[in-house]
Amino acid sequence: MRQAPHAPTKPPPVPVACAHCGLEVPPLLVCPGEEEQYCCAGCCQVRALIRQWGYDDYYRLVRAQGGELGPARVAGRSFADFDDPTFQEQFCKAAAGRRRCAELYLEGVHCAACVWLVERLPEVVSGLEAVRLNLATSVARVVWDPEQGSLAPVARALDALGYTPHPHVGGQARRLRQAEDRALLMRLGVAAACAMNIMFLQGALYAGQRWGMDPEFDALFRWLVFALSLPVLLYCARPFYRAAWAGLWRGVPHMDLPIALALTAAFAYSAAATVRGGGEVYLDSLAALVALLLGARYVQRGAQRRALERAETLRSAAFVEFARRLQGDGPLAPSVEVPLVTLRAGDRLEVRSGELVPVDGTVVHGYSQVDNGVLTGESAPVEVQPGDRVWAGATNLGARLAVGVEATGERTRVGALLAVVQEAMARRPPIVELADRLSRVFVSVVLGLAALAAVLWIGDSPAVALQHVVALLVVTCPCALGMATPLALSVGITRAAQAGIFVKSPEALERLRRAGTVVLDKTGTLTEGRAQVSGWRGAEAARDLACALEAECSHPVAQAFRRAYEPPLYLTRPASGVHETPGLGVAGLVGGLRVAVGNRRLLDSLGTAVPPDLAAHARALLAAGQSPLYVVVGDRVSGIAGVGDPLRPDATATVAALGRLGLQPRILSGDHPQVVVRVAARLGLPADAAQGGTTPEDKRDFVAALVEARPPDRAVVMVGDGVNDAAAMALADVGVAVHGGAGASILAADVVLTREGLSPLLDLLAGSHRVLAVVWRNLGFSLVYNAAGAALALAGIVGPLLAAVLMPISSLAVILSSALSPTFPAPQRRSGAQAGERCAGGPR
Amino acid sequence: MNAVFVLLPLALLIAGIAVALFVWAVRSGQFDDLDTPPVRILFDDDPPPPPRSQSR
Repeated sequence: MRQAPHAPTKPPPVPVACAHCGLEVPPLLVCPGEEEQYCCAGCCQVRALIRQWGYDDYYRLVRAQGGELGPARVAGRSFADFDDPTFQEQFCKAAAGRRRCAELYLEGVHCAACVWLVERLPEVVSGLEAVRLNLATSVARVVWDPEQGSLAPVARALDALGYTPHPHVGGQARRLRQAEDRALLMRLGVAAACAMNIMFLQGALYAGQRWGMDPEFDALFRWLVFALSLPVLLYCARPFYRAAWAGLWRGVPHMDLPIALALTAAFAYSAAATVRGGGEVYLDSLAALVALLLGARYVQRGAQRRALERAETLRSAAFVEFARRLQGDGPLAPSVEVPLVTLRAGDRLEVRSGELVPVDGTVVHGYSQVDNGVLTGESAPVEVQPGDRVWAGATNLGARLAVGVEATGERTRVGALLAVVQEAMARRPPIVELADRLSRVFVSVVLGLAALAAVLWIGDSPAVALQHVVALLVVTCPCALGMATPLALSVGITRAAQAGIFVKSPEALERLRRAGTVVLDKTGTLTEGRAQVSGWRGAEAARDLACALEAECSHPVAQAFRRAYEPPLYLTRPASGVHETPGLGVAGLVGGLRVAVGNRRLLDSLGTAVPPDLAAHARALLAAGQSPLYVVVGDRVSGIAGVGDPLRPDATATVAALGRLGLQPRILSGDHPQVVVRVAARLGLPADAAQGGTTPEDKRDFVAALVEARPPDRAVVMVGDGVNDAAAMALADVGVAVHGGAGASILAADVVLTREGLSPLLDLLAGSHRVLAVVWRNLGFSLVYNAAGAALALAGIVGPLLAAVLMPISSLAVILSSALSPTFPAPQRRSGAQAGERCAGGPR
Repeated sequence: MNAVFVLLPLALLIAGIAVALFVWAVRSGQFDDLDTPPVRILFDDDPPPPPRSQSR
């Protein structure tokens, strides 16, 4: 960090911009005389590195796109676990020659300039051959030569530039999806090529029918058309046959059944006509039909895949993957970073201040406090000393700890909860959506009508009957119906993703529209999730002394106090003799005066009484749901502030809006019941809508009971952010993970919100209503169109040719209706809230 | 007009080669990422700067 000036100076009057990210530099960090100022250590380091390597073009590229940079975040660790054989085996593959490649998810990638910068790394990192970054997924494919370098220096270089790497997990499911997408694209390409060539040749044939053509050319064109249609019908249309057959096997009429029937019947008829040399040939319509249907499917899959991938990468970045294993005994033993999976019981780990505890274990050295909020939902620090147990997922708030490993991975408490989540998700019964039921009815009706057409026209001749049946099947082609729902949902999901709302599956949107009850977690969801200090009463000088004292303390309350009241640096005097008593407070000497900051128990231990005016204020703070924090200077109480976990600014408005929408909000929390009831009152909810003191298992049972008791057309929505919410989210009809959620909640949720606050929940609900309105509109239109088309085909007015022309028009109408509806609002520009974040590479 | 008997199959053969190239491109993963290549046009083909320092 930059050196503060020793002599007090006036702060500069003009706001100064950070030389890296352009955000405002806080006045106390401005160094007069320096030509470049930085808002944090991250920005300073990243810019120095960029200048050193000669990549100043980076800033030009950012400006060229009109983009904005955010404060750089640097993890600053050694990434030695990336070179561990277990890691290499799990995440790295062999590439051409003796090279190896790996896929890394990078944080902080936001524009083309990042791509440019990252892909130039091979110039400065020895052994690194190539880096290819995918902007949409933020995944970089890294190729290096093991004999010239290794992966750890590459990871360090990426981190030093502000793009902290994580191994990209996705594995089997992702590879399967990729293979399916590629197969679909190949089928689409072949179908489109064949269909267009068939249309050229068929055009010649139509001209021949009008103006006459020599029989040998007629035969040539016919046979070429037939030859070109073979790959379309036998290769490209295979997914339809497979789905139709699978449906028939199970006795369920699948949407692809009429398509498969139409294709088979029309192909058989056209093939016969080609062989015989006469009669109508419909191969051009068939090829175009297959190409169109495959095109629609490709678009649909693309939208869904993007949202799913984003949710997956968010989840994989939120889990802890490495640990610092201690080499040797004693408190000063060095540590090395290793992958989590290589740990065994009996290993000793170092957990630094601000880091997560990666395993279940016992403290061997060190005195500190941990925050078990991720497990219990409550973020009050818990003291730990040698011999105490700590749980995986807890945050170490105080000093460095040495922990002996007892359980890792799935055998930790967190791991067990995750297993519950996985099991609950596997057991979730699929809700039969309205569109599904509608399509089954529709298919049965179409097949019935086809039979009817056959019967009606069989009197004329089999050829005419076949013609009319084919016309009917083609005109009622569930292209429009089949696309109505999925296309509207896919477009809705894409729009939602642009607004920062990632919906993992289309069914979730349908269920959200029918939401009946919304269950909200308290800490971290309704509240900010961390301590905040406000309501100071007393002398300002005492407040400054308290800040000087708290500067030496890393307790979350101390940090909250300084966030609220810290004066400009040049007014602070250093503190000495600082002694922290867990559970009471902190005391020390500031400028020769004895200062202490703490709670009621601290006062009792010092034997100090509270003056009456401040005592009244303390009572007022308690009534408002905050804990009083006393500042003692000398031997008198000189000031009081209140410590509480504030509600998010939009929480009250959101809960009120939920009530207006007819949803019943409920609150479930692991916090003390009285606190939860008070929070409910401040939100305007009755006391029986809130339940406190719940364990993760209690939450799961509560939500399960709600799901059992609900009316069948009302869905239960669970909104949360921690591991303690994950099991409940998996059991609810729709699980929503809010911004900043733990990895387990992102895994269990159907929707992941990436914007701050609770109001994206309202956007989600409104958007789902609008998407379903579009679906209904599409369905209505396609039903009307199909009814009219079927009637005309039955009456013989519409032949197969006209049917093949009408069908794409209806599909186009459905496509336009879906693509042009504004379902989710466009994202706003990044708010100024992020500018105030501390980004000094410390605890996040 | 007898040329048509030769030209048409020839044209279709060329089309077939194009489709084969497309299939090869899909198989080698060139269509997996369609978002990043468009932004690469912003990059200049500068000669790489002399490396001033290697990473640790």
